Amino acid sequence: MATPPKNIEGFYKQKKSNTSKSKSSNSTKHAAATSGSNIAQPPALVSHGGSLDLEDDFDEEQQVLRQFDMNMEFGPCIGIPRIDRWERARRLGLNPPKEIESILKRGKVKRQSLFGGRT
Amino acid sequence: MEVDSPEQLQRKQSTYLSFDENFEIQKEVYRGQQYSQIYFARLHCMRALLYSLVPNWKSHLPVCTVLGLEEGKECIIVGTLYKHMKLKPCILDEYSKERSVAPLVKPHNFIHQDDYLVLEDESGRVKLGGTVLSPSVYVTGVVIALHGKETSAGAFFVEDVLEAGLPPQIERQLKSREDKYVVFVSGLSIGSSSSNPLLFQLLVDHITGHLGDEEEQGLAAEIVHLVIAGNSVEISRGLLNGQNLASKDQSRLSEPFKELDIQLTQIAASLPLDIMPGSSDPANFSLPQQPLNRCLFPGSATYNTFRSCTNPHCFELDNIRFLGTSGQNIDDLTKYSEAKDKLDFLESTLRWRHLAPTTPNTLGCYPFTDRDPFLIDSCPDVYFVGNQEKYETRLVKGSEGQSVRLICIPRFCETGVAVVVNMRNLECHALTFGMQFSS
Repeated sequence: MATPPKNIEGFYKQKKSNTSKSKSSNSTKHAAATSGSNIAQPPALVSHGGSLDLEDDFDEEQQVLRQFDMNMEFGPCIGIPRIDRWERARRLGLNPPKEIESILKRGKVKRQSLFGGRT
Repeated sequence: MEVDSPEQLQRKQSTYLSFDENFEIQKEVYRGQQYSQIYFARLHCMRALLYSLVPNWKSHLPVCTVLGLEEGKECIIVGTLYKHMKLKPCILDEYSKERSVAPLVKPHNFIHQDDYLVLEDESGRVKLGGTVLSPSVYVTGVVIALHGKETSAGAFFVEDVLEAGLPPQIERQLKSREDKYVVFVSGLSIGSSSSNPLLFQLLVDHITGHLGDEEEQGLAAEIVHLVIAGNSVEISRGLLNGQNLASKDQSRLSEPFKELDIQLTQIAASLPLDIMPGSSDPANFSLPQQPLNRCLFPGSATYNTFRSCTNPHCFELDNIRFLGTSGQNIDDLTKYSEAKDKLDFLESTLRWRHLAPTTPNTLGCYPFTDRDPFLIDSCPDVYFVGNQEKYETRLVKGSEGQSVRLICIPRFCETGVAVVVNMRNLECHALTFGMQFSS
């Protein structure tokens, strides 16, 4: 298996300073994607549900969760919900940070890891 | 002829405790997880254990991860072994454009002299070199500690190996006991053309005390438990080809079970019995196999002496710990490694502290996420494997005073041999049934 690069941030696109968070409904997003010029556009990011995946996931909580996903100490993150992975880490005595549990229990975050459903 | 004497022989009894909850999968939920989870659980538990053993082995050497290896630096690494096998069947072989000369039909054993071992942990993997580690002895899935150093070629030159060794054993008070016997049988294969119903009936009659004079009945009364270690029925392959069965074939399908149930009812009426599923029984394919459904045994399941158990099966009788399988784990080791005899494989699994190290690589197993149920935490007193070619047994001693009776239970339909263990001293002997008709 390939060793991960030391700089994890290289995986993700860097935050643009003037990006607005898209909170508009699905129909607006569709309109935005198809209107405009005829120049070939890169394909829109479409996840399983059919909705365009334009959320940026860059707030603090998401960063913390992403670091938790990527931490090899707690085992593979694919195919296991984050809360179960946290529970497993706790049971195996790995002392996962308690704040992860509180973020996950609050419920507004993705249940699966950042690869969830997208591998 | 003498009338039966007024005093009745009482069968001896033992206290029974089951430890099968570890192997039950009712509570597990499949959420699309892959096998990386069970490998992680296995590596984590075994590595923690090996780290605790390293100071007693070679305390002066640093322990590092595979990624932390430096060329020429002597150190200790712990990880999961992966054995690259040239002859291991690969699904891609069926699709390759150039068919190799080697036939797709599998040989009995896939060892090749070009096999090599790789050690892997979460950070990386490294090829293992040197002559200390012989690839034919090991299989993929074993977690061990290695002492050596990285060579300029990028491989790890192994100088010494540390296996986990026998797990700790709880002391049993064996001296003040009386003779109590446990009978093991496997491979009854009822329904197959080679099984002789008379032999199994003889076994049942002997155990239940319907054979022999008072002395022999007295011996039978000292049998406290029977364990049937898998492959109790064999369904003819022709019935399992996926076609809808005609009604007369349907009755052929259920006949072996009816016959088995009749026999088990006779046994259950007389003493406690455990029945484990095997590779030919109607249970799930992957390990741990779940208990055979009680509806298959309408007669015997009504008795509280009848217990349908998982495979692997772990239980205690009078505080003596028994652990064993129906044979799939050892049969898989036979295919992918070599040893002098089956008992050596059995002993290896104990030293590696894992019942079935080849799961999930070449032996099917359930994708557990949070634990590896095949890890052996506590050393059993009796460790058995069913459905082997012949009866073999050995007493193994551990470095900390552990003592284990290893038993290979032969297939009853082929050999007519059952195995009897005396709980007083863990001595073991064979019980052979045969039919000789004088001409």
